[in-house]
Amino acid sequence: YLQNKKTAKFYPSIRFLYPSCHRNRAARIRVGKGDRPVTYEQAHHPHHIAHRKGWLSQHTSNLKGEDRAAERTIEDVFIRRFVFGTFHGCLANEIVIKRRGNVLSVCAVMLQKLPPQKFYFLIGYTESLLSHFYKCPVKLEIQTLQDKAVYKYL
Amino acid sequence: PLVVAAASRFLLFFLMQITVTEEPDMLFQKVVILVKGHDRAVLDSYEFFATMAAKELGITIGKVFEPPKAIERLTLLKSIHIFKKHRVQYEMRTHYRCIELYNITGCTAQVYLEYIQRNLPEGVAMEVTKTAMEKIPDHILEPLWKEIPTDDKPSQ
Repeated sequence: YLQNKKTAKFYPSIRFLYPSCHRNRAARIRVGKGDRPVTYEQAHHPHHIAHRKGWLSQHTSNLKGEDRAAERTIEDVFIRRFVFGTFHGCLANEIVIKRRGNVLSVCAVMLQKLPPQKFYFLIGYTESLLSHFYKCPVKLEIQTLQDKAVYKYL
Repeated sequence: PLVVAAASRFLLFFLMQITVTEEPDMLFQKVVILVKGHDRAVLDSYEFFATMAAKELGITIGKVFEPPKAIERLTLLKSIHIFKKHRVQYEMRTHYRCIELYNITGCTAQVYLEYIQRNLPEGVAMEVTKTAMEKIPDHILEPLWKEIPTDDKPSQ
């Protein structure tokens, strides 16, 4: 044990010393042993967005000549956390948020972990709470699956 | 006469209340619809839908073309602290599609635009420019120098 300790290399956990810190790590899953299931959304890196992936949040404020992008982003973040919390452990994939006119449409794919009555109650609760909060009609469109849709194993 | 039609939520010809008034209708020489979005495929399908709707309603379609896309790029630092030489670049692409309609009446334009706008996909924005035609006012029709008799007074 002492020998291992002596021969073990000194690897200080200081970020700026290592060139691997210059790599992009945002929204990317690194290749592993092959036992971790990964969905289509997670498997593709952010530079595939307009090519192999779609957009998770669709609104017009990021177009050229449009404003109020920050407000939409904050609303999106809040809605994602809220839905993640209310349907705890039931979400199969990321939530898709669409804005059409005044209507906020939240589309989610869920796992069949709860009985349908509880699902309906939670859907109604989320819709009414978010509509009162954002002062606009909020619609929740839910689809359920037995298990998560696995794209590949990494 | 101006025909005001209140279109219902779903289709044009379903439960419409039509009122007829005596004021003359607005005439548009050109109605330009510029649609912008992040996804080119969505704009393709929307253009197909809009041109089909215009053909069904009998509206003369002028040019349907694609203005060049606009890319807005940001270059930010990759690290939270130091490493000025390593940066990350993000870009936001805005694709455009332009549909021009010629010689359209006010009522038709109102109904068509309402139908088009109710079916705008999410993530797509629209800008409409209308060029209206008005009758020339009577006091401009004849040039002024023909009416006023020429005075032969020497200017002081």
